[in-house]
Amino acid sequence: MSRSPGRLVRLLMRCYPATWRDRYGDELLDLVSDLPLTPRVALDLASSGLGLRARALRAGAAHRVLQGDSVMAIQPAWRHPTAFAVAGALLLLPTFCLVVGSLLGYELGLTGLLGIVAPIQATAASIRAVDLFLVAAPALALAAAIAPLVRLGWERRDGTLQAVLAVRALALNLAIALVAVAVGSLLAWHIVVESLLEAGA
Amino acid sequence: MADPAPTNDPGLLLLISLAGGPKHGHAMLLDIAAFAGVRLGPGTLYGALSRLEEEGLVAALPTDGRRRPYRLTPSGRRALASRLGGLDRAVQTGLQRVGA
Repeated sequence: MSRSPGRLVRLLMRCYPATWRDRYGDELLDLVSDLPLTPRVALDLASSGLGLRARALRAGAAHRVLQGDSVMAIQPAWRHPTAFAVAGALLLLPTFCLVVGSLLGYELGLTGLLGIVAPIQATAASIRAVDLFLVAAPALALAAAIAPLVRLGWERRDGTLQAVLAVRALALNLAIALVAVAVGSLLAWHIVVESLLEAGA
Repeated sequence: MADPAPTNDPGLLLLISLAGGPKHGHAMLLDIAAFAGVRLGPGTLYGALSRLEEEGLVAALPTDGRRRPYRLTPSGRRALASRLGGLDRAVQTGLQRVGA
């Protein structure tokens, strides 16, 4: 392994919960500096840190439920709505470009666009994984955009655990979700029509 | 064939190591490798150490230069004795059954 101990070890330390790093981080760094940084040591640091992080999340959630607070089951999406929206947009982008390009080319007769889109479509169709990704992208983008709008969790009321569902509206996420639905619908319509035409032929 | 490790439980190995006297992280790794033949990773060691400290079974001592030693608490000593007693019963039963 090419060694850049300072940078790699600092990166691996990010796997650990911040409160844990505050208490043990310096000691662990000191110990690691005495050892050769082999792949085994790097893997050990990463897996141990992620394990402690998962444990801290579970402990925190259980503690808050016992305190009577509500707890989110999809916390990362709730906390980073813009990042999820951008991820959705990036997932959708290739399918969006091909669908819009096809529409403009075939429906509005912009043959210049068809010259660009048609070869890309042909190539994509010939590679199964790419074809599957392009078809699945609207659904994936919709899920990524919608996830931060839904708050799913549980809370303790009158001594019993109850599921809690709440929804919030965020313009960027809603816009990407709507575009994903539109692109997905057009794609589905295209696939259905194409299948019917092939069946009839 | 090399003798198999008596246990891979990092928490138990740490308690056994600290039962021999206070040690810092690096000394614990060396001690555990010597008596159990187990090479614990630094992350595994500190993960187990933090859990044991949280449970009150080990306690940190003032830093010794740039290293912090840890010691077994009385409650850690009792927990270790109890776990070793349980293991001993299982080992004795196993040895009797294989006729060793």
